[in-house]
Amino acid sequence: MTQTPSAEPSPARALHAQGVTKRFGAITALSSGRISVGKGEIHALLGANGCGKSTLCKIIAGTVSRDGGTLEIDGRPADLKSPREAEALGVALFYQELSLVPQLSVADNIFLGHEPRNAAGFVDRRRLIADTEVLIARFSAVAGSGFAAGTNVSRLSPDQRQIVEILKVLARNPSIIIFDEATAALDKRQVDLFFSILRTLKAEGVAIIFISHRMDEVFEIADRITVMRNGETVAEYGAGEVDRDTVVHDMVGKLADHQREARPPRPAGETPRLVVSSVSGGRLRDVSFSVAPGEILGLGGLQGQGQSAILQGLFGAEPFARGEVSVDGRPVRLRRPADAIRAGLAYVSGDRGRDAALHGRSIFENIAAATLVSERRRFVWPSALKPRFEKAAAGLNTKYAGMEAPIGSLSGGNQQKIFIARWLATDASILLLDDPTKGIDLGAKGDFFELARDLAAKGTSIVFYASEDAELLGLCDRILVFNSGAVTAELSGDTRDAFHLTRAAYGETA
Amino acid sequence: MHRARTILTDPLVLAALSILVLLGLGEAVSPGFARGDQIVRLLTVSAILGIVAAGQSLVVIGGREGIDLSVGALISLGALLAGNVMSGQDGNILPAILVAGGVTFAIGIVSGLGVTVLRIPPLVMTLGMAGVVQGALIAMSRGTPSGNAAPTLMAFVNRPLVFGLPGILFVWALIALAMWFLLRRTTLGYAIYAMGSNERAAEFTGLPTRRLRTLLYGLSGMFAGIAGVCVIGYTGNSFISVGDQYVLPSIIAVVIGGISLAGGTGNYFGVVLGAIALTILQSVLTTLQLEFWGRQLIFGAVLLALMLLYGRTRQLRV
Repeated sequence: MTQTPSAEPSPARALHAQGVTKRFGAITALSSGRISVGKGEIHALLGANGCGKSTLCKIIAGTVSRDGGTLEIDGRPADLKSPREAEALGVALFYQELSLVPQLSVADNIFLGHEPRNAAGFVDRRRLIADTEVLIARFSAVAGSGFAAGTNVSRLSPDQRQIVEILKVLARNPSIIIFDEATAALDKRQVDLFFSILRTLKAEGVAIIFISHRMDEVFEIADRITVMRNGETVAEYGAGEVDRDTVVHDMVGKLADHQREARPPRPAGETPRLVVSSVSGGRLRDVSFSVAPGEILGLGGLQGQGQSAILQGLFGAEPFARGEVSVDGRPVRLRRPADAIRAGLAYVSGDRGRDAALHGRSIFENIAAATLVSERRRFVWPSALKPRFEKAAAGLNTKYAGMEAPIGSLSGGNQQKIFIARWLATDASILLLDDPTKGIDLGAKGDFFELARDLAAKGTSIVFYASEDAELLGLCDRILVFNSGAVTAELSGDTRDAFHLTRAAYGETA
Repeated sequence: MHRARTILTDPLVLAALSILVLLGLGEAVSPGFARGDQIVRLLTVSAILGIVAAGQSLVVIGGREGIDLSVGALISLGALLAGNVMSGQDGNILPAILVAGGVTFAIGIVSGLGVTVLRIPPLVMTLGMAGVVQGALIAMSRGTPSGNAAPTLMAFVNRPLVFGLPGILFVWALIALAMWFLLRRTTLGYAIYAMGSNERAAEFTGLPTRRLRTLLYGLSGMFAGIAGVCVIGYTGNSFISVGDQYVLPSIIAVVIGGISLAGGTGNYFGVVLGAIALTILQSVLTTLQLEFWGRQLIFGAVLLALMLLYGRTRQLRV
């Protein structure tokens, strides 16, 4: 492997982490994390989903404590026990989620929790405003802010809010800033603006760690690149001395081209079960695809690129703003889940507790809800329905004490099986799976994959989003790769491998 | 040990035990308290509370902080409407029930729309509605009682019909059966529990939660209106604040019955026992010649004590 030794002159190093490890229960999130960032350097951190890059960043920012390894900030060993301690050493983490309070002014937001105090201990309004104006002025050259310290955040445009978010980070005068997917919500113009801010910071000597889901951006702005895979730092390069495919190969590794089972090709001229044409809205931009009967279509890419939005849109939970959907050749309007259910769609969420579980109710009731709706039943005769539900649950190898046991008496994996059985009992023809194996044990995962293959063999169409690439590659006939709400690649046959998946996930087309 | 504890904190057992204890207490204070005809009398009064509490149960089970504070005003409205439609004529009993039930149903639907469409918290919405209805009542009646119950209705509520029991008790039994059927044998009932347990998950199984929740407030209003008809049948005529005394007890009866105020659990049989227990408590307190404020104080304390008790056991049960 290209294990480039760190050749940076050490006095200029703002941050140096070596051999960092972290375990969460039985899962090793980080086995050997390493990153070294110089002052005035923009350092891109790359890796596929679950490679440990977010964990490494959280350790540097003090929100997660490390199990082993060394961390040096400004050449001194740092043992961070809280985000406050990291902040005191000049580390700032920029979150993707908007964290502003709309009812407060720009100044109040920027100094929220760090308000300057006067001698009596009250907030020093005059200094608060003055400090904010200095900050705004510092960036007005590049950003042309168009707002004042006293402006209410609720009156700002989305990109102005983004600037306030950045100013909020800068107000602490950090020497190391971690931008985790800071550009995810921005359009091209805003990204340019963001990059000019980054260059200003770089000129001031700030060390920057930059996580992005777009390879273009990485090669445009980064000075150096660190690549992680499976909890380990596997390579480090200067941005000028490496090409994109090499970086993707590093992210994927050699083992990734594992054995795939051959799947019979779909018969030609088959009528598609589900056709999605040019749907948009929310995060989605003009997405089109079709799924054949018995096909398993995978949705891949880095997390949060629109995969869940597509599934929730198809289920009518977050309806599309534009575009058309048809099932078995008939156009359908999907304004609420009931519409989707009656069109034969079913949705299994990875967030069971929020989206699926009827807490405190029996297993019978948890399964029954969907059947009652899809069959438009008015009355419930448990003795007539129970055998059907028991059959649906048995097909999944579900372990449970009986239909009357409360849903909470089951393990996470068995609960998820019940929520799948809920839809099997309705004979849904299209299963929408939204990261369904999140947080379930390996045994249950195995049962789940077996079931998906069986259902597909019987003609059920499956649209499957998984945050783990291995699950997609192992199960799917075809994979659509999402980036920023659009499909960047469709992988099938020879291109259905980890290399192409990762490359497309970073926005590289074909 | 664990078993004993579960039985003792089972709401049904607790309610049944308190009924026996209260009857014993009443008998000790005033011999004859637990005589047969007295018990029938107590059950008759319980029936009115029980009918109001049926609607309250549905709203509470439906979740999202569901509560109906407008039942008092709607009972008064139902009684006033029924009294004026009947004007003492037997032939007008059915129209009186339809008018009282229909108008209160419609008003309940308006509260429901406020809760579901305008997203006004149920507590505020139904309290506001209570104020509006109460004001309208004063305007309509100019503050003086009006309307008379038909003789047959009064006999139905007060006189023995079969087996020495008045007709209203059979109506109450029918309502209890209907509530069981609604909650355990219809999709609507399953939907009410699902919605109260996890509204988002209920929506994700395709249930029309907004429409359902609106309907629950309508049903609660209708039950209050029917209770109003019973009230005028019981007393013969009505005054404009006759329903006020039922608001707090209807909520306590629901809680005694084992329905969690968080929604999604419980059934109506517990509420039936709760309504009986509460009515006997009220009667014991009256027998002790406690003033109104004293009864009110004890009712409030009972509600808070129950919340403490069940709040704790719910955590134990998960």
